[in-house]
Amino acid sequence: MTVAKPLPHDSAALHVTGQARYVDDLPLPEGAVHLAFGTAPVAHGRLRSIDLTKVRAADGVLAVITAADLDHEIDVSPSPSPEPLLAGDTVQYVGQPVFLVIAESHLLARRAAALADYDIEELPAILSIEEAMEAGSRFEEGPRIYTRGDAAEAITTAPHSLTGSIEIGGQEHFYLEGQAAAALPQEAGDMLVYSSSQHPTEIQHKVAHALHLPMHAVRCEVRRMGGGFGGKESQGNSLAIACALAARLTGRPATMRYDRDDDMTITGKRHDFRIDYRVGFNGEGRIAGIEFLQLCRCGWSMDLSLPVADRAMLHADNAYFIPNMRVESHRLKTNTQSATAFRGFGGPQGMVGIERVLDHVAHAVRRDPLDVRRANYYRPLAGASGGDISEQAKTQTTHYHMPVEDFILHEMTERLVETSDYRARRAAVAEWNARNDVLKKGIALTPVKFGISFTLTHLNQAGALVHVYQDGSIHMNHGGTEMGQGLFQKVAQVAASRFGIGIERVKITATDTGKVPNTSATAASSGSDLNGMAVQAACDTIRERLAVFVAERAQARPEEVRFEGGKVLVGGEALSFDEVVRDAYMARVSLSSTGFYATPKIVWDRIKGEGRPFFYFAYGVAVTEVAIDTLTGENRILRTDILHDCGASLNPALDIGQIEGGYVQGAGWLTTEELVWDGKGRLRTHAPSTYKIPACSDRPDILNVALWDGANREETVYRSKAVGEPPLMLGISALMALSDAVASCGKAYPDLDAPATAEQVLRAVERVCT
Amino acid sequence: MYDFNVARPGSIDEAVKLLSDEDAQALGGGQTLIPTMKQRLAAPELLVSLTNIPEMQGVCRDGDTLSIGGATPHAVVARDAAAHFPGLAALAGQIGDPAVRNRGTLGGSLANNDPSACYPAAALGTGATIVTNTRRIASEDFFQGMFDTALDEGEIIVSVDFPIAEVSAYAKFAQPASRFALVGAFVARYADGVRVAITGASETGVFRWTEAEEALSQDFSHEALDGLSVDSDGMIGDIHGAPTYRAHLVSVMTRRAVAAAI
Repeated sequence: MTVAKPLPHDSAALHVTGQARYVDDLPLPEGAVHLAFGTAPVAHGRLRSIDLTKVRAADGVLAVITAADLDHEIDVSPSPSPEPLLAGDTVQYVGQPVFLVIAESHLLARRAAALADYDIEELPAILSIEEAMEAGSRFEEGPRIYTRGDAAEAITTAPHSLTGSIEIGGQEHFYLEGQAAAALPQEAGDMLVYSSSQHPTEIQHKVAHALHLPMHAVRCEVRRMGGGFGGKESQGNSLAIACALAARLTGRPATMRYDRDDDMTITGKRHDFRIDYRVGFNGEGRIAGIEFLQLCRCGWSMDLSLPVADRAMLHADNAYFIPNMRVESHRLKTNTQSATAFRGFGGPQGMVGIERVLDHVAHAVRRDPLDVRRANYYRPLAGASGGDISEQAKTQTTHYHMPVEDFILHEMTERLVETSDYRARRAAVAEWNARNDVLKKGIALTPVKFGISFTLTHLNQAGALVHVYQDGSIHMNHGGTEMGQGLFQKVAQVAASRFGIGIERVKITATDTGKVPNTSATAASSGSDLNGMAVQAACDTIRERLAVFVAERAQARPEEVRFEGGKVLVGGEALSFDEVVRDAYMARVSLSSTGFYATPKIVWDRIKGEGRPFFYFAYGVAVTEVAIDTLTGENRILRTDILHDCGASLNPALDIGQIEGGYVQGAGWLTTEELVWDGKGRLRTHAPSTYKIPACSDRPDILNVALWDGANREETVYRSKAVGEPPLMLGISALMALSDAVASCGKAYPDLDAPATAEQVLRAVERVCT
Repeated sequence: MYDFNVARPGSIDEAVKLLSDEDAQALGGGQTLIPTMKQRLAAPELLVSLTNIPEMQGVCRDGDTLSIGGATPHAVVARDAAAHFPGLAALAGQIGDPAVRNRGTLGGSLANNDPSACYPAAALGTGATIVTNTRRIASEDFFQGMFDTALDEGEIIVSVDFPIAEVSAYAKFAQPASRFALVGAFVARYADGVRVAITGASETGVFRWTEAEEALSQDFSHEALDGLSVDSDGMIGDIHGAPTYRAHLVSVMTRRAVAAAI
């Protein structure tokens, strides 16, 4: 069976030879026009007027469009709160698109866009979390609050309590391929759109709305992206709509891509947070109650901020049963880029908050943080310890009242402690620190429990379209998009397995709203879970027809027919798959089918904070060892050991790739990736020369990744588990290891903010020493 | 980028003549100038490349002086100076990345005088003499603040004479994204005393830390620097580090350079 084989990415050879086509590589018909946005130079202001004389007169410029030229306000927002394509009379952040240049080339468009003369009355800008709280600048009427028990009472009556606060920076997606789109006008006003988007259906919907067309008149195609990470869930809307407008206006194909600096300046990033906490606990570090205040900087428009902030609240427990918990979440509106989806979608920030609490509590009770973590874990599953059905073994629920029915972190932690040699290495670190004054080491183990499903329940659906051609080759299509993660290959493995044929017989095809309609974004780690099941359903429909056909001929029962090794086995006979298909075609059997899947069991009330938002949880554990230089604050990750749960993996090679990449991206977020805005709201880190993402050489020299060998308890596709987002949060172990290293310098708690840049680490060392 | 022409003269005289045009600009390895032109922050009409002039190339020892041609790439210095002046060679080997080291030149770096560049620390830290087509300039007189030097319009750095130190070392704290020096310290010991030059830190560009020089001339050990620090006033504060952080790194990097030199 093809499923579970460690096959390489289907496009690996195309990627490394440069033959893989991205949107900007597509050959466009003669006469394509190129677009660029002119963007706001101030963070907040009233746009009195704008003189575009020089822009219009510039070389190669065909037309310039402002908000006033549009027949209606064009909304690019993925949320119910509108977000104009082009700023009207106010500008809301530095980099906001104000006008659109249509020119003969990309460079001419960009050059012209820089020539506008703005007359703007500057207004006070709200830039920071503190300024927004002060001004009451927020989305939603007030904070969201999820509670279980009485946290305040539990903290008051607990033997010990402490308070603290952590600032968690944002993160630039830094997809290798920047945002890009192209639109080709079709007959009768129809539009074909190519987009580097994780959400082709939304592109179709938004373009249709902008052009006053029904959705059937717009088709969006996405073959692949060069990385998405959530940054292409909503941020591609503007480019696709701009291309469609320009294509309609000029009657020519239109294309647009953001230069890297423009991309970083215009598009949203991961939300930065400040998380304040108050926690009550006993002398062993067992937590009785926590109050979290999550302050989330959303930027100027709503975008996806509400579900992002919700997910931060939903991961405020991570792997721990906190009997009394109160999470208060403020979604703050600021004059900065509109923060958007980013791998983990708020979950990582919520998880950093609780891991910080565990680290702080462990420091206060002077115990190994690992022991304090385990003492607070959700209870092991009933049955795991021998069928005990007493009160003690009942399933515990989260602070949003969802039962935790698949908790496997006790077993996973135990195994990783063993394979990583954690105890001996922790002792060796202590010994090293006793002998060395300048270089100090630290080690930490952190767990991940990440909820799988879109919290907006209706998004948990997917469709597929499968054709079997008369020669036995197969065309497979589904609503998921490929962004390098390997979704297409995993789903193709499912298709090949259903028919019992080789993967080479399955053609992977571009995501296309004309083939599979009404799809959800490829997001929330759901790609394989949803689309794998939809493809399986489509394949099974065709397989069932073939089984009925051959069974009838062989006077056997359809359920006895087997599809294996390129053969169809029936009544002791082995027919070739191709032969069966050819005969079925001749006998006029339909060889094409759609497939559909809707995730079961989930129900969620986001206002009350009650229900089962997730079908299941994905788990992981990581041990990271670091060294810091106490004189400069520089730091390195020396070794990382990971044990991650992909259920029964559809493809171990691709899954391990996702785990390695997720860990490195998560560690980068919390260590070197620092976004800096100046006092005027200008992003000063808008290129790789100033913003440091991890490179290959920043990967720890020793990076051991193993997969947990258990199947998903829920009925997912081949009992696999989602793998896109969860491993990013394994990177939290790097931050906690740094905290451990700093703590060895003195008595005080390090109180380390993220990202823990060299300068931050040095400050923490100074705090701890004094 | 605006349109421009390129000339590749084969002699210094020819280069000087071409540079007499006021819209001409000397081109070394182009590692700073070309990106600046791409951003349209510079618009010379004629680039006069200095990389085809034989007497501006290479590393040559004359007694206690190492003379390096102004158009010598960093990678060549890293390789060819190693046997004669290891501290200087090691500094050249840490500049930027391989692409920068294979294209960027000594003369280009000094003439640009970026406050975060490495070479100014070597020139000032050795008391080098900058030899141009018209005169010899002491390094103390050469660096005149961020991106400012004593060079006149059209004047070319033909070579640089580095007095070879008894021992020397460069310690750099690299800004992780760009690999420029957040702070770099070059320390060199000579028979008549120790020199310490700091790059990356000060708003006035590369400078000599004279207090440290005096202490190290008495006792060339990192302990000699105990209790010494530079004032954070006048240190650069930017997105990569606060003035206090840079001031702190000046002491640390200087100590490390001394430790490495011994």
